[in-house]
Amino acid sequence: MNNILVIAPILLQLFAGTILLFFWTKTQIQKVLSILFSFLSLGLGIWLFLLTWKDGIQFTHAGNWAAPFGISFVADLLSATLVLIASISGLAVSIFSVGTMREERLKFGFFPIMHFLLMGLSGAFLAGDMFNLYVWFEVVIISSFVLLTLGSTKSQLEGAIKYVSLNLLASSLFLIGIGFVYGLTGSLNFADVAVKLSAISNRGIINVTAGIFLVSFGIKSAIFPMYFWLPASYHTPPPAVSAIFGGLLTKLGVYALVRTFTLMFGGDEFLGIMLSIIAALTILSGGLGALLQKNLSKAFGYLIICHIGFMVAGLGMFTEVAILGTVFYLFHDIIVKTNLFMVAGLVLKINGTQDISKLGGMYKSYPLISILLSIPLFSLVGIPPLSGFWPKIFLIQGGLASEDYFLIAFIVLGSFLTLWVVAKIWAEVFWKNAENLPVKASGLYFNQMSKANQSMVIIPIIFLSIVSLYIGFAAENIYVLSEKIAADLMNPQNYIETILGIKTILP
Amino acid sequence: MEILLIIIIGLLHAGGLYMLLRRSMFKIIIGLILLGNGANLLIFLLGRLVKGHPPVLPDGAKIFAEIYADPLPQAVILTAIVIGFGLQSFAIILIKTVFKVLETDDLDELNSTDEEI
Amino acid sequence: MILAVLSGFIFAALVPFFSKFFKRTIPFVLCALPILLFIYFISFLNQIELGSYLMFSYSWVPSLGIDLDFRLDGLSILFALMITGIGSLVFLYTANYLKGHQYLDRFYGYLSMFMASMLGVVLSDNLMTMFVFWELTSISSFFLIGFNNEDAASRKSALTALGITGLGGLVLLAGIVILASVGNSYSFTELLGSSDVIKSSSSYHWIIGLVFVGAFTKSAQFPFHFWLPGAMKAPTPVSTYLHSATMVKAGIYLLARFTPLLGDTYWWNGTLVTIGAITMIYAAIHSLFRVDLKSILAYSTISALGILVFLIGIGTEKALLGAAIFILAHALYKAALFLITGIIDHETGSRDASKLAGLQKVMMPVAIAGFIAALSSAGVPLLIGFISKEVMYEATLQLGQWAIILTILIVLTKIFLFVAGFWAGIKPFTGPLPKEFQKAHLPSALLWVPPLLLSVLSVVFGVFPGLLEKSLIQSVFSSISGSATIIDLKLWHGFNTALMLSILTLVVGFAIYWFLQPSEKNFQKTIRFERISPEALTRDFGNIFSWFAGFWTRFFQNGYLRNYVITILAFLTFLMAYRIFIGVKIHIDWDQISTVTPSEIIVVTLMIISIFIAIFSKSRTTSIVALGVVGFANCLFFLFYSAPDLAMTQFSIDTLTVLLFMLILFRLPKNKTYSSKTIRIRDGVLSLIFGTLVAILVLEVFEYPSSTDISKFYADNAYVLAKGRNVVNIILVDYRASDTIVETVVLVIAAIGVYSLMKLDLNPIKKN
Repeated sequence: MNNILVIAPILLQLFAGTILLFFWTKTQIQKVLSILFSFLSLGLGIWLFLLTWKDGIQFTHAGNWAAPFGISFVADLLSATLVLIASISGLAVSIFSVGTMREERLKFGFFPIMHFLLMGLSGAFLAGDMFNLYVWFEVVIISSFVLLTLGSTKSQLEGAIKYVSLNLLASSLFLIGIGFVYGLTGSLNFADVAVKLSAISNRGIINVTAGIFLVSFGIKSAIFPMYFWLPASYHTPPPAVSAIFGGLLTKLGVYALVRTFTLMFGGDEFLGIMLSIIAALTILSGGLGALLQKNLSKAFGYLIICHIGFMVAGLGMFTEVAILGTVFYLFHDIIVKTNLFMVAGLVLKINGTQDISKLGGMYKSYPLISILLSIPLFSLVGIPPLSGFWPKIFLIQGGLASEDYFLIAFIVLGSFLTLWVVAKIWAEVFWKNAENLPVKASGLYFNQMSKANQSMVIIPIIFLSIVSLYIGFAAENIYVLSEKIAADLMNPQNYIETILGIKTILP
Repeated sequence: MEILLIIIIGLLHAGGLYMLLRRSMFKIIIGLILLGNGANLLIFLLGRLVKGHPPVLPDGAKIFAEIYADPLPQAVILTAIVIGFGLQSFAIILIKTVFKVLETDDLDELNSTDEEI
Repeated sequence: MILAVLSGFIFAALVPFFSKFFKRTIPFVLCALPILLFIYFISFLNQIELGSYLMFSYSWVPSLGIDLDFRLDGLSILFALMITGIGSLVFLYTANYLKGHQYLDRFYGYLSMFMASMLGVVLSDNLMTMFVFWELTSISSFFLIGFNNEDAASRKSALTALGITGLGGLVLLAGIVILASVGNSYSFTELLGSSDVIKSSSSYHWIIGLVFVGAFTKSAQFPFHFWLPGAMKAPTPVSTYLHSATMVKAGIYLLARFTPLLGDTYWWNGTLVTIGAITMIYAAIHSLFRVDLKSILAYSTISALGILVFLIGIGTEKALLGAAIFILAHALYKAALFLITGIIDHETGSRDASKLAGLQKVMMPVAIAGFIAALSSAGVPLLIGFISKEVMYEATLQLGQWAIILTILIVLTKIFLFVAGFWAGIKPFTGPLPKEFQKAHLPSALLWVPPLLLSVLSVVFGVFPGLLEKSLIQSVFSSISGSATIIDLKLWHGFNTALMLSILTLVVGFAIYWFLQPSEKNFQKTIRFERISPEALTRDFGNIFSWFAGFWTRFFQNGYLRNYVITILAFLTFLMAYRIFIGVKIHIDWDQISTVTPSEIIVVTLMIISIFIAIFSKSRTTSIVALGVVGFANCLFFLFYSAPDLAMTQFSIDTLTVLLFMLILFRLPKNKTYSSKTIRIRDGVLSLIFGTLVAILVLEVFEYPSSTDISKFYADNAYVLAKGRNVVNIILVDYRASDTIVETVVLVIAAIGVYSLMKLDLNPIKKN
């Protein structure tokens, strides 16, 4: 259904970012405004989701130039849900930043850039045009560059160099891929490209192009063997930034993979096998990496990689139930990873370090907080019936259906490594007695903060934990939603017809 | 002529990647710029080459009478160039800051965030 | 029903918020829960008759077929009664045992969470729901075992237990999903109907293999048994609860539950008998070399679990009946023995079986309980242990060609367990009281009543087996075996081979008890075999695994950007090369290729030269200038081929970039060559391959007939609809205006970034 308001989530964030620019050094106003805008954006997200849920795909053609001529913005159920979840994460991070960010960073544009980043994410989720997606990707990466380097500390810069180089390489490859797609089809609109690509008989050339997209999005989603920038950089910025990165950035890559490989490049056997192998090795690399880390955030960073592997595994299996698993995992993962880095931030605030071997005694000194933190940790592990558990069922079912038994083995292995890492973190950070913690280099300890600030740190964690619990206990709802999305993704007919406004027959 | 352009595109990509494989931060940027140029030229070529007929309507005409160059790749490249500039200038400032803070250009000395397992 | 199962969780969730309240009102409020549940389940006893069952269904995830369906039949009610019954006693016992403990409230929270999870496991009809509770038992036992969390050994045991049972759980999950996909349902009751289909399916071996791993890890079967002795680090009430009636019995429950569904095949019976036999004899021998009372009990528990697996594996009616009785008999005497050990530990501060003696003088009621429990464990007549032992012997004796060897194995195991039981239940109380334990005295009734009660039950059921026969064991037997045979429990079986063997067991057992004393020396003898124990091997495997993890991580995440790029590049090159190699035919269509003019030749040459200069120049400035020239050459191409706007943009942007570069970087040191020649050649070759591949691809795509309908639309409507003459501009500001707007945003963000990067420096100020 044609609806100009599809782009409202993007415009709101653009507006938010711009307004915040005018309060450059007035951090108090920025804080209030940021939270306010995040609430509005959550409202818009809910509205768009409900609308899409009730009335099907919502879209608009910018400037009223019908597809494939103008740029389409499309909110199908997947996009709408992701916009909603991004706004949930965004709200949590916004509140968390108010509680934890240092004033200096706030005075150098943290909030505006954060809202621009969220704008880029919404834009990328809603884009129905390849080059437009590229442009949104660039918004996301330039904002992430700025957020990553804000403060220019030594480790931030060292991480940033790798992050920036590899992400620019990915963008370059994306552009090359767009060039090839345009050369083959003369079009950039997703739906139109899908139709025209399916008519091309020379599959070889399409598959090479698909390979280029795989690598470009692969770098962004941190899959094997392209994840290197992530462990190098994700633990270096302040926790609030890590939270938004960990929750949303890699998932944007996964979204792009899912979108392009279901709509345009799906069904190639070789790429399917490649994706399966990549998935297995991604799970392995992430799990193994997390096993030995002494830095809490860095361990979580490796766990991101491990779980990206789960999602890619579903894509590699390429059956409806496997895609269902991927989508379900995607939703769960955004929430839980955002929360996880906030947890790491809180641990840092309380103890002044993230070194697992030195940390300890949280359970003794902060029992209630510890119990709260156990929710995201155990959701991550997928202790049933928490949120991480359900998608695994579908992934295993998908593996059975497509006879990718080794992937099932790797999923079991990945889950076990996650369990082990989290249990060890629990034993070390929460159970063990702390010994000679180093003195915090800068900022206040948690117990020196004002009550208001303390609650700004705790509330977003509670908020996302509740969302996680909801995903776990009301799995029925998420299942029905994901099932519908998976069905739509595997049968893109409806998407194409709605956007192009014509009946087409895909072979 | 197209063949020559294709060779240049190949060369730009090869050169860009070669530079990305160097240890100097400075060379990384050079590599990224070369790659960007290569990608732009690639899109341009795949929009097919037309000589001497820019996609501009002559005065008085309402539609094109003769052939014209494909305008869409041009618009896309234009956007890509500008965006690329934004990113490149940020990267340039970044390496300058890195040099200021860490006092080295050698990437091999910048791996502490990876090493602490 | 749902309330009954979930009440423990609700209770556990309330604990942190009302901890003060709970601490004060202990034990009355706390213990009410299991007692009430026990009474609740008792009330169902007479409703469950031969082979019948009750179902309680609550919707949860109906679309997936995962619902909270609870099935109450003989097997589940037996376990439910043990869980709540022994649970009540443990709750009461704890109230005194951990009196005044700082975290008593938490302890009760975990305990009730654990109890609820166990109830969920044994009552769920839906296999996925059962799995949910199954994992919850692992997690709550993790908290219970690690309760003394400041002690490193405790933490390690908790981790080991969670690691083993957690891995087993995940494997079980895979098994359940496969089972459900073969049988097309998660409901046990529905699956029962398609039992034959499942048994004859090709995945059958996978299913039972995976289920076995799940059950064996949970029930501490060889070679996964070693988490159980470690778990003795937990406070004694936990050990009692986990190892007599609940946690470890969950695996047994699973096997028993699945017997009518998956059982009675060659692989099912063979595997279970083998593993069960190894476990029971291995652990029984081990128990004779321990000194710590809890260790003795731990190994005798493993051995008993082995016996159960063994019996289920034999799978005859007699064997299953034996298993049904032994589950109960073992729970009763083992719980009593653990509780007694707890009392001894509490009062004397020692659990050393070689030192403890004569305590009956100071704690008579405890001694009575200990005596009875030990006798039941030994299988002395008039106790329930005797009945179970008789049935077991009868079962193995019936087995034809295997009868002799299996009977010998079980008799040997029973003899060793006799000794272990006597050490734990009798030895500490007999003989003279050593001086160091003179101060010990009878503890509060809350501590000694529970074990005594359990022992009394052992006697009652032993003397009047009829009490159990109709009410409980009959329906347990029916639900395990799926058969309708009417059972008959008798105290007196007549003079038969089984009785002879029983007498033999008692005599030999007593002889060993008389001559063999638990001693530190014997324990030391086992240490040299530690190297090849499953625990040590697992630890070695773990070490190798973490070495591998370190190797793998350092290998890929080695800190060098150039290695990262080369890995990515190699991967991409591989993808492209493979595809081009098998799927793309290279050919050039000369009709599409335009001619070359001299001016173009000059520009091309210029470009190639400047690319090389930009790459290889030693001076930064030269590189930058060459880069500029590349850009300008690019610009000329745009100009030649009808793209004046592009040329202009490229020109200005290129100029800006070069200027920026110059301004910012002219103070950097000279370009250095860091890498060796070999590396440079390697990189060069790889880059060239990549460049060639890109070029080939471009050529192929170029050959492909392009579709221009979109550009045509733009051009045709540029003036008519969009009122402009320059189509490129129209595209930028109208057709694709959103790109342009966003592009501006990118520039704004970049500008902010540049500003912040230059102005904000949060590094600690350098000293010097």
